[in-house]
Amino acid sequence: MIRNKVKENEKTVLYVDEIPNGAHFHVASGESLKINLACFANSLDGRVDVDVDEDGTFEGALADFSDRSGKFVLNVNLNGKGAKCNWHLASLTGGESKKVFETSVFHEVAETEALMSNYGIARDSGKLTFSGTSHIKNGAKKANTRQEAKIIVFDDTSDGKALPILKIDENDVSASHAAIVGRLNEQHLFYLESRGISEEDAKRIISLGYLKPIEDYFDDEDTLKLIDKAIEGGI
Amino acid sequence: MSTLVIKNLHASVKGKEILKGVNLELKEGETLALLGPNGHGKSTLLAAIMGNPAFDVTEGEIYIDGVDVLALTPDLRSKAGLFLAMQYPAEIPGLNSADFLKASMNAHREKPLTLFQFYKALQDAYGALGIPFEMSKRNLNEGFSGGEKKRNEILQMKLLAPKFAMLDEIDSGLDVDAMVTVADEIKREQERGAGFLVISHYARLYNMISPTRAAVLVNGRIAVEGGPELVERIDKEGYEWIKRELGISVEKEVDGSMNSVSIGACGTKVKINDKK
Repeated sequence: MIRNKVKENEKTVLYVDEIPNGAHFHVASGESLKINLACFANSLDGRVDVDVDEDGTFEGALADFSDRSGKFVLNVNLNGKGAKCNWHLASLTGGESKKVFETSVFHEVAETEALMSNYGIARDSGKLTFSGTSHIKNGAKKANTRQEAKIIVFDDTSDGKALPILKIDENDVSASHAAIVGRLNEQHLFYLESRGISEEDAKRIISLGYLKPIEDYFDDEDTLKLIDKAIEGGI
Repeated sequence: MSTLVIKNLHASVKGKEILKGVNLELKEGETLALLGPNGHGKSTLLAAIMGNPAFDVTEGEIYIDGVDVLALTPDLRSKAGLFLAMQYPAEIPGLNSADFLKASMNAHREKPLTLFQFYKALQDAYGALGIPFEMSKRNLNEGFSGGEKKRNEILQMKLLAPKFAMLDEIDSGLDVDAMVTVADEIKREQERGAGFLVISHYARLYNMISPTRAAVLVNGRIAVEGGPELVERIDKEGYEWIKRELGISVEKEVDGSMNSVSIGACGTKVKINDKK
């Protein structure tokens, strides 16, 4: 199933199984841009650059279920005061693929905000890496940045790495990150099992929790159906 | 009427023995206050009965009406009628509360609930516990306050209607009003005929739910069993008299030191334009 679709309406730019390589977006002052990327069969090799001006908002989401190796790079430059970035990624990495997601945000000026949220599951000899830098530059006072990188490593053949970097050159900022890489949490499984849910179902339910929330950031109904199918069929 | 029987139970954590031969029986309809100094095995006992993998049961037996509980996985123990309201309920990312409740309720039934039956039960339970129904749309325990987590545990108890409910410090983190609500719900379950095994550090909860019996766990064994007057005595006098009257020396609190942890570098401060 290979679909190439670039659909554009006034709000959302959608790419299905065609990750752009070298796309550059410019969010003008006060405007907003939403990009939805979905990858089911193709490689996720690609790069997206986004520049956001004063009070502009960039919202991006990537849902990845491909079994092919690749590297995806996202760079978001918050160039104007009040510029915002909201990024969400869910990746199911299996089938001996090696994937790298490098998502970076650069706070160039004051009062800029960013959330980089990356969730993934590595299994069946899959190797998944989340990296990227959140950089608060000189002068970017009251900048607010957060990075989340969470990976469940399902089996011994698989591997996950979370390498979040916070670079902070200014005082009076707020910066945080959460990085969790590991097996399914034994106490989480026990909690669900103690309520009558079988171990197998509990594992499935916890895994769904890593992937399913990505659907909240997608608009297109057809794509949502494909994502739903990929999640239900994949876990 | 069902009976929960615990015989000579030994359990350890990371090779350290906490329970050293617990013998205890609980019938449906009874409410047993489980007392004892900190670190002497109260929570361990409840966790071992439910099958928490962090605790190794090394010796002993647990039965419900002849069914060998130790041979069952935790999900089957739940189906056999056991419930544990946990002291620290897990926060599970991305798991919607309503989806979770539906999965656990259906796991206890032959035929899944219809959507209507499920929402009716859910609305009733949220109403009874005074939890806004909106909370059912939130992720399970994620970002819940201490009190919200505890109420959420009692909500699950109500929905699953166990034969034996074990409550591990369910009143910590609850304000007075919430404690009344939770106690009312426990009373309703008592009337239904459920048996209770309750750990609390405060006489207030015990006063509200009127235990029928009490047991004191010291040094990993049941040191004293008795009626509800035992709760009152310990509330007033502490545990010193046990040492005096029964000749049991109360061992010091089990060392609760943390494993060594290391915190990696989270932030790097880099000077730019400083290259030589």
